[in-house]
Amino acid sequence: MKQKQAPLLNLDFWDKDIETLERKKIKELQLENLNYSIERAKKSEFYRERLKNIKKIKSFEDLEKSPFTTKEDLLKNSPFDFITTDLKNIVRVHSSSGTTGRSKYIFHTKKDIEIWADLVARCLYMIGMRKEDIFQNMMSYGLFTGGLGLHYGAEKIGALIIPAGIGNTEKQIELMRELKTTAIHITPSYLLYLAHYIEEIGLSPSEDFNLKIAVVGAEPYSENTRKKLETIFKINVFNCYGLSEMNGPGVAFECPYKDGLHLWEDSYYMEIINPKTNKIVEEGEEGELVLTTLKREGMPLIRYRTGDLTKIIKEKCNCGRTHRRIMRIKGRVDDMFIVKGVNIFPSQIETVIMGFPEVDKNYQIIIDRKQGLDILTIQVEIKKEFFKGEINELRNLQEKIRDELKEKILVTPIVELVGPGTLPTTTGKAKRVIDKRRL
Amino acid sequence: MGKQISIFVENKPGKISKITEILGKAKINLKAMTIADSGSFGIIKIMTDNNQKAYNILQENNFLVSLQDVVVVEIPDKVGSFHKIAKILEKHKINIEDAYGFITTEGIKAVLILKVKNVKIVEKILKERGYKLIEF
Repeated sequence: MKQKQAPLLNLDFWDKDIETLERKKIKELQLENLNYSIERAKKSEFYRERLKNIKKIKSFEDLEKSPFTTKEDLLKNSPFDFITTDLKNIVRVHSSSGTTGRSKYIFHTKKDIEIWADLVARCLYMIGMRKEDIFQNMMSYGLFTGGLGLHYGAEKIGALIIPAGIGNTEKQIELMRELKTTAIHITPSYLLYLAHYIEEIGLSPSEDFNLKIAVVGAEPYSENTRKKLETIFKINVFNCYGLSEMNGPGVAFECPYKDGLHLWEDSYYMEIINPKTNKIVEEGEEGELVLTTLKREGMPLIRYRTGDLTKIIKEKCNCGRTHRRIMRIKGRVDDMFIVKGVNIFPSQIETVIMGFPEVDKNYQIIIDRKQGLDILTIQVEIKKEFFKGEINELRNLQEKIRDELKEKILVTPIVELVGPGTLPTTTGKAKRVIDKRRL
Repeated sequence: MGKQISIFVENKPGKISKITEILGKAKINLKAMTIADSGSFGIIKIMTDNNQKAYNILQENNFLVSLQDVVVVEIPDKVGSFHKIAKILEKHKINIEDAYGFITTEGIKAVLILKVKNVKIVEKILKERGYKLIEF
């Protein structure tokens, strides 16, 4: 078999001094920058009132006195209320849509864009991207931060960028083959779809391409999905975390050890809180990630509630970086759904499904209510190669998936097997959960 | 060796007519059919006069299909024919997993389709007993 795995443990640094800064110094730097950020934020309409009683912060506990900033704050107020400088110094705005139809707008100065690009370059260099790489950026360019965010970072490294954007699968494959793409940036659902498409047209995802690295983000996905993708393409898949409110991609990123994501603590101050009590949890306990920008000029955000659930990994990472890692995002506080009184995250279901080689990459979760009872249905696609024509095999598979799901999520779901390619796929963010109870 | 086609179908109206429509258009003659149902999905097994062609065309139409080896044996269309075969296989301790059939000439000939673990052995046994095996 052809060995095309990239060297796994490339432990070079983009910015060694910062990436390996000793913890004590990181903390000092954070305190200093927290004060900078708070003072800077007070120049904005929104924070002027809100932070007026916050004096110089001497310890991290002092920060807990300042209120959280929420998504609703961004949606309710005029976007300009958050700007700390004259509009002429703002060079870019990104936005992401809220569920209610209004959008959140995030403003950047020239320096903000530079610092962001440098952070992304740090991430990409960490996973092995170099000048020599040919990087196909298969994320939407435009208001969404995924496209331009990675573009600027890869350009900083000096890689050759193919700004392919999203969709048009045929064209994407043509570009990958013609230009010998070595690295891609893509959502997990689109990469799964791409694998399916490549096989459909009679090509081999692992043999007919020059791919080495995939940056996969913008949607939470499970460790099993990563393994599946790595096996299909024979590449290294790295998880990337970011949100537009914190610039976008590059907030936290996996190193070659792929065991949690290093959150860049020189640029962000993180807290993990219990989303119900709003209290900071013990280090290592799961909760909602709260972030404060430490360097952003145009629009600092103080104690911003990301809505993302994770926990801090306390142990030091073998790669030598001192910035603490967070666990792969478990889901968003608002992704969670409750069935029969049990809290369930789509990621838990995905983990189980992706562990079955007999089923394909696509799945759908349907929640319904009949006669007052919640019914959870999971639809999975059977893989062509697995179908041998016997109903017993399928019944056994159905039962095995159901039992494993029950063990994981504590609710017995109905598992429905469907033919390959029958479930809807999207090239952007996948809609996996359909809750008919609210319709 | 005989073949049959297994087709995965979601339990929805119109699925079977879609299959028969495809086969009809391709001028494939459906000889026999069985359906096993399991709630939200089922498996349809069919025997046609050109199984390879039927398999290909169903696959082209995005059906999940599988071609299975089966024993297809001609028997007289009269009382006790199946029993004889069942007895022979019982003697050899062979388990019949699935069976169905159709009549080719009323009162004279019928065809029996048997799903067994080892098709070749069963074919050999039946041949030795003078049975005629059919391939489609």
